[in-house]
Amino acid sequence: MAKYVLPMERKKQEYLAERERFFAELPKLSRRDFFKTAAKAAAVATAFWKGFPPHSFQLIRVAEAKESQPKFTFAYISDTHILDKGLNHRFVKACQKAVDDVNALDPQPDFVLFGGDLAQLGKPEELSLGKQLLDQLKAPVRMMVGEHDWYLDLGEKWREMFGEPTYSFDHKGVHFIVLNSVIVEDYWTEPKMTPMERMLAMAQLDNPNGRPFMVGEEQREWLKKDLAKVDKKTPIVIFSHSPLYKYYRPWNFWTEDAEEVHKILAPFETVTVIHAHTHQVLTHRLRNITFHGVLSTAWPWPYAPQGIPELTVQMVRADPFNQFDGCGWGSVNMRPDGQADKHYVLWDRNPMTVTFDHVRRGKQGMAELAKPLQGRVDWPSY
Amino acid sequence: MGLKREWKNSVATLLGAFALYLPNGVLEPSIPAENPLTAEKVALGKKLYFDKRLSADGTVSCASCHDPLHGFSDGKAVATGIRGQAGARNSPTVLYAGFSEVQFWDGRAPTLEEQAKQPLINPVEMGQPSHDAVVKAVASIADYPPLFQKAFGSPEVTIDRIVQAIASFERTLAPFSSPFDRFLAGDKNALSDAAKRGFQLFQGKARCVTCHEFNRSFPYFTDNKFHNIGVAMKGNFEQLAREAQAIQARGDKEAESTLAHKPGIEALGRWIVTREPKDIGAFKTPGLRNVALTAPYMHDGSLKTLEEVMDFYNRGGEPNPNLDGGMRPLNLTKEEIADIIEFMKSLTDESGGKNFDWEELKELSRKTRAGELVAAPAP
Amino acid sequence: MMMRPVGFLGLISAAICAVVFALRVGAKQPVKHELPPAPDGKSKVVGLCDGQTSVVVPGVAAGERMSPEQARGVADELMRKYEENKVLAHGGAAHTEREMRVWEAELKRTIDEGYKLFHSPELGTNGISCDMCHPDASNTHPETYPKFQTQLKRIALLRDMINWCIENPMEGPRLSDDDEKMKALEAYIISTRKGVPLAPGKH
Repeated sequence: MAKYVLPMERKKQEYLAERERFFAELPKLSRRDFFKTAAKAAAVATAFWKGFPPHSFQLIRVAEAKESQPKFTFAYISDTHILDKGLNHRFVKACQKAVDDVNALDPQPDFVLFGGDLAQLGKPEELSLGKQLLDQLKAPVRMMVGEHDWYLDLGEKWREMFGEPTYSFDHKGVHFIVLNSVIVEDYWTEPKMTPMERMLAMAQLDNPNGRPFMVGEEQREWLKKDLAKVDKKTPIVIFSHSPLYKYYRPWNFWTEDAEEVHKILAPFETVTVIHAHTHQVLTHRLRNITFHGVLSTAWPWPYAPQGIPELTVQMVRADPFNQFDGCGWGSVNMRPDGQADKHYVLWDRNPMTVTFDHVRRGKQGMAELAKPLQGRVDWPSY
Repeated sequence: MGLKREWKNSVATLLGAFALYLPNGVLEPSIPAENPLTAEKVALGKKLYFDKRLSADGTVSCASCHDPLHGFSDGKAVATGIRGQAGARNSPTVLYAGFSEVQFWDGRAPTLEEQAKQPLINPVEMGQPSHDAVVKAVASIADYPPLFQKAFGSPEVTIDRIVQAIASFERTLAPFSSPFDRFLAGDKNALSDAAKRGFQLFQGKARCVTCHEFNRSFPYFTDNKFHNIGVAMKGNFEQLAREAQAIQARGDKEAESTLAHKPGIEALGRWIVTREPKDIGAFKTPGLRNVALTAPYMHDGSLKTLEEVMDFYNRGGEPNPNLDGGMRPLNLTKEEIADIIEFMKSLTDESGGKNFDWEELKELSRKTRAGELVAAPAP
Repeated sequence: MMMRPVGFLGLISAAICAVVFALRVGAKQPVKHELPPAPDGKSKVVGLCDGQTSVVVPGVAAGERMSPEQARGVADELMRKYEENKVLAHGGAAHTEREMRVWEAELKRTIDEGYKLFHSPELGTNGISCDMCHPDASNTHPETYPKFQTQLKRIALLRDMINWCIENPMEGPRLSDDDEKMKALEAYIISTRKGVPLAPGKH
């Protein structure tokens, strides 16, 4: 029996079929052909979402504190951990979901930060599949490296694809700095680890033999030089994969030379660090610096048993049944004063916005943010 | 029948208290303290349930859409109200509704009492201008004041008494007389091998129990929660959300009460109640008892058969930005799907069991439909 | 050569039988428990049914009734002394160093095997491993089982949830309950929560 298909339904099915075909073609494509396909897919996606605007009302705020009119907004997608296991893999689908969501934003963000850990084991196939997924983004992408991208070939493939991992740029009066903060001291040469052994050792979060992340002297010197020409009143935003502070050493939620980096940043009035790696809602403030964690699209990490910054309003433990729970993407509204309001788009939950006003008012401000969440009766109990 | 008579006798000795039969180990339903279940209220509720005079033009009763002849649903995609108006949502069965934590597809009513109030004054359902009009209509029928006297101690008719009686009647619509109930009670032959395989799949590979929760304390196959499985992804979502927000911002209560029945707005589901983004397009998990009697399916009746429902789930629902993360393609084979459907068919009650006489209610429905009766005869 | 240990075991069983018999006989005709006198000559002395262990109850005179609290205290003290003196399980010999080293090594082997499985994608098919969501087995809370597992919608043991994770996020085949891998995983997970009080049913 033929099923009657509503016109809108048909349009959607066409879109989905097109997307399916697009995915099926991906592995066969040369680089150049790929860009062509990606553009086509983006066009299809746009046409589709005109009928089905998906997430524009996800931006309804739960926070009560006022958000100032943003000067501009950038989005982030992070920690996708793409595995070379086919296009039906849940991490690929999750990354695609984030890309679709960001592409549906209207207006579009000025750019999209990718927060690192594009790949799970640094393999060229993983990195290029990840790149193909990100290439569908309509807004320009700023790339950052994570340890999962780096330690198979010490960044060779990543550099070839995305260029140098350490750089800075200015955007609408804000000075942005992107660091490679996943540097660790060499513990692989002496025991003659193979590249994959090294990669697996780095990929294990709770590896008792791991070494702490650091920015390292070379980059700190670069940072000093880069900042030398920047006015002390210019707002600074730093993208770092590791937290750029000391949270929990056994899981490398940690940056060993954090204090030295903070010292370099001390003269600047307004500094925001957006960091990845921790896969959870995290808020921290040290003197002039505000730190925000970002979500992973792939899975949420549990909060560490100790060291959680006291400003953090924790997200409820994720439901393991729900692939998307505790995962998502987000955006940052840059305010006219150069401070940042941080927005977490938690899939299948309500979004959460940590404004600078919350952070500025310290524990009291954060308690206000947590209040509407505490009265909820349907919090999961697992 | 012998058992039934015995049981009725035992009720008579309970001074009006209605002893609801529950199988061993099944939790008591929550009944509001101010509305204890009594035989008199059940009898009054039954009469009201079948009485079309409760509607504005005397054409629609509760039983019109929740019909004993159709598994206490109506067999239609969406409900039909007075003057043939189509509603926005599929009429759910009333069987076992008394065990639900929340009522309506979007959970906007906490009890059967609150639920019963809404269709009476919904313009596309029973269409009364106000609850006062309903009270007036009922009070003017000579049969009723004596029945209110029996049920509530005075002949006074109020809207709260009306819905309390209807809710009391509805609470008795819990047969527990399906092959699956016999299986639970220990009769291993009550289910066919296919149904048994289906039950295993239901709890395993097919992932049904994730939302259609089953356990012996609460054997109704629902978690009483709200999920977006993608059924609602039709029409312009954003526009509807904004409209709903605007009505809420205006504080327009009248508009708000009919909001859930505006064409298209039903797509927002639970969001209409909570205004929380996570609830966009999410609907209550319906229980599955008697599911074979209550086609078509889903909140909008968009799937005609259990086979269509299974195909829908087997492909992982409809992709949409708010799709519940527990949805995913199931890779069920045709045979496995057939087994699961066999299992679902074993959830069909074979009679009203110990709590009510289904045949009698079917007869009442036939007669009121045929115009032979305006309402159930006074008990 | 084989006869000797058998004969020896036979002797032991005979001895045990004799003891059991003696105890049974004793039950019919109570062995007179000669209680030692209280040091102060007047306090109550209470004996255990083994006919050997006894305690003095200071502040309670012989023949006087004890309060329920005192009686409970006396019972506890009797059992403590009994445990201290008893020589049953090991035939009077303490655990040897060899025994203890074997136990420790075997336990460690199982836990290490569990650690390896927990940190490897081999249980699944999609490259995902347990530690990706549960570093140091965090958020596995083995002490809360059995409990109503909201994902499974039924009462579950830790192993049921291990299998759930293998089948769902990791998309692998479930392990049977007596699979060595299952035992190893449980061993590792439980070992990370040493000292945490049991809390079955906790959510």
